[in-house]
Amino acid sequence: MRMIHSDPELKYLEERCLHYADVFGMTLPECRFYILDSMEFASLLEKRVYPVSPINIWEGKRMLSKKYRIKEGMESSLYYEVVQTGRPSYAYLNNTNSAMTQATVIAHVYGHCEFSELNVLQDSTDDRTEYVMWMVKKVNRSRQQMGEKSYLNYWNAVESALPLIAPNSQYSLEHSVETDRRTGTRTKRKREEKAEAPKPLSPFSSTMDSLLRPTQKSSPFELELKTKLRQETLSRRGYRLRAPCQDVLGFLKEFAPTTKAEKNILEYQYIIHAPSDFVMRTQIMNEGWAMYWEKKIMMELFREKSCKGIIDYCKTFSGVCYPRPYYKRNPYHLGFHMWVYLEDAIKKGKISLEFQEETDQKVKQEWDRGDGSEPIHTMRHLVKTVTDYEFLRRFLTPELIHEFHLNRIHQREFVRLGISKREVIKEDSNWVWLDPRPIKKEMLSFFTHYYRPRIYVIDADFEDGGLLLYHRDDGRRLRSNWIQPTLKNLNMIWKGGVTLISRNTLYQYSGGRQREKRIRELAFETVVERMMEGKKPLIFE
Amino acid sequence: MSGIFSDIGDRITSDESEGAFNEYIDEQLQDLIDGIITDGDLTEFGSQGSDLIVEMDDITPPSFIYGDDGQGGGGGGSGPGSGGGKMSFSLPFDKVMELIANRLELPNLRKEGKGKIKEVSYEFKTFGQLGIILDKKRTFRRALKTSVANGIYDPNEGKFEIQIRRRDKRYKLPERIEKPKYRAVVYYMGDISYSTYGERLELEKRIVKFIHNWLDYNYGHNNVEHRFFVHDMEAREVMPEDFYRVSNVGGTRAAIVFDLVNQITINEYDTASTNFYGFYFGDGELFADDAKQIVDLLEVMRPIFNRIGIVEVQPSRSSHLNSKVSARFKNDRIIRIDELKHNKETINVIKTLFGAVP
Repeated sequence: MRMIHSDPELKYLEERCLHYADVFGMTLPECRFYILDSMEFASLLEKRVYPVSPINIWEGKRMLSKKYRIKEGMESSLYYEVVQTGRPSYAYLNNTNSAMTQATVIAHVYGHCEFSELNVLQDSTDDRTEYVMWMVKKVNRSRQQMGEKSYLNYWNAVESALPLIAPNSQYSLEHSVETDRRTGTRTKRKREEKAEAPKPLSPFSSTMDSLLRPTQKSSPFELELKTKLRQETLSRRGYRLRAPCQDVLGFLKEFAPTTKAEKNILEYQYIIHAPSDFVMRTQIMNEGWAMYWEKKIMMELFREKSCKGIIDYCKTFSGVCYPRPYYKRNPYHLGFHMWVYLEDAIKKGKISLEFQEETDQKVKQEWDRGDGSEPIHTMRHLVKTVTDYEFLRRFLTPELIHEFHLNRIHQREFVRLGISKREVIKEDSNWVWLDPRPIKKEMLSFFTHYYRPRIYVIDADFEDGGLLLYHRDDGRRLRSNWIQPTLKNLNMIWKGGVTLISRNTLYQYSGGRQREKRIRELAFETVVERMMEGKKPLIFE
Repeated sequence: MSGIFSDIGDRITSDESEGAFNEYIDEQLQDLIDGIITDGDLTEFGSQGSDLIVEMDDITPPSFIYGDDGQGGGGGGSGPGSGGGKMSFSLPFDKVMELIANRLELPNLRKEGKGKIKEVSYEFKTFGQLGIILDKKRTFRRALKTSVANGIYDPNEGKFEIQIRRRDKRYKLPERIEKPKYRAVVYYMGDISYSTYGERLELEKRIVKFIHNWLDYNYGHNNVEHRFFVHDMEAREVMPEDFYRVSNVGGTRAAIVFDLVNQITINEYDTASTNFYGFYFGDGELFADDAKQIVDLLEVMRPIFNRIGIVEVQPSRSSHLNSKVSARFKNDRIIRIDELKHNKETINVIKTLFGAVP
């Protein structure tokens, strides 16, 4: 591991890239580049792109198997770019790459860094890497405090909760839990706005008023009682669940009874895994943005001849941006082409109501009514305001799906998947193009569940202090023989009974015993409604 | 290294985590070793010294996921769960034996002959300016350094000359290494009379296999000679594969096989520098004076042998070899006696044969 200035050629390329990033007006944090060999790279990835990590068997296991696979030639040890964004950002270069590839990586990293700075989810934070390194020290100290065995057990228990991170969910910690410091959650506010009655049209007489206005259901006495009750719960426990909370690990981190050492483990695991939620929600825009800037900067470098190998670059580029069918998501390809399309469309004024309402195809094709402003401002505005879901919902049309070949499937694959011939709109000897119209909807449905079970904390005082989790049904069953072991692990963190509702079954782990019970199915909407009203979400008949 | 990473050293590694995982696996292997000893996987050692491929359930932390139930039970909560897949490891033979030794708390075997016979080998670890075998790599490296320093090799200037001078030459120097060489001879004696068949043979095979491996591990694969003897009405030496071939002769005399082994020991080997081991397996049903003769022979053999084991495999009511022998050699350091009725007792028998003095 060495810093980039130990290599004068790379240092020069970095300076040139930075120069053009500046020319293009990119908003960049300080970026520090390090050069690693391939084994260091593999290790860095296992540490989730931080240079250090606490000792744990899972990393050891993955690393050993990776080493074995690399040795046996089953896996390549080449990794192109790896960056931990934040202020400052840390990026790592592979020492086996050619100078041209290194320049590509540097340019690509700048794209990611800008995206991280600007995006709506506010991913970039100050001193992220430094903070994690400090956390690692704390966790290592915790390990000594806890003893090897308890440390290992607790760490393993937390591993079970890792997929249950959702800091950017609609039902995030911030939106769902009311604490003494954070009263009035956002979800609650929404409900209150809704409850606001429409003003009567003619407020002439008080009799009319009382008739027109919906009568207040609860008496002031009841309201008073409710407020008092809420305050009491708050003061006793320090928090109150106002809505389902999808950020289960975040919830446990904040409110599970822990020792200091255990809390360190929870916090460390949370902080290093939380950004995956951001990646999931913005991957297409993010990778597209990085590719867009990479290409722009590289073209300048080739033009000024500070870098050679444009043919090789084109080969790599087209390899990375190769179209894949929509269900195999290639965010580089889709993202890059979306941004290029948008740049052109904005320049020509196509992102406008008039263009949408124009019926004459000929006029539409020749449309060029831009106001002369730089499209990049609009593009940056998009980065600052939307995530992938909205990005695709607004701009991805069936025509674009067809143009980007998202609906193109190989003949063999087509036969294997058993798709009906009726959905085919075009075919040749190798490929089949499907009807692009239903595809967008399917692509968007990914963003509701990300192909992962949606689990919520819905009660933190279920049957005397137990944690009640709810699995929101997506039409698929949870792997049943993993439910109880997972509950057992969560039980270890919560230190009280943990229960999961999945469809019509209640799975319970409490006091070292497992239980399963049939219940009547409970709709998510009912849960939300009951919680908003301050009732228990699960009521046994 | 500089900046904030200065305290993590020169490299990013996962060494410590790999170590933690290996330790975890070692613990799991202890369970596996129990299985190997009790459930009869002993025969899967393969031929001497080959690695053992161990398969165990893959570990993954259980979590709420979609999907079909895989194999395995998801593990035990806080411990790693099972993902249904398999992890396989290649365990070196010595490692397996070491684990078994630890598990059974077996002491290392006492070796004799130390200082008398030496195994001599040469290692080339040091280098000097004079010698016969030129180390080309080292020589070239020195020559290159000198050439760069002299300015005759400079790629930037287009100079690519390398001169190998006399003082650049480095030779490999042999170093004489002497290690004490131990030699061991193991005699396996088996009763192949008609009554020894079926399960008895299976039990016997497992023990023999273990003894074979255990002695190989202690003395080194090439230093142990394994010899197989069988008897029914008469005794003879056989090839290893014939050791388990049951004859159809009904009667049996065991003393003759002890006698044969004794003769061979005295006539064929240097008793002062060789370690002798003898193991007898049979059902213990003998003619009346047979056991007495054996006891007499054991008296003669005892000073020469490092260990003599007598194992009655599935003895019947009329078996009396053990009782006769133990009447004379009770709690003996050299002569160990046990009976093997069931698979589960294999561990105990091994402990009796190779454990510390009872």
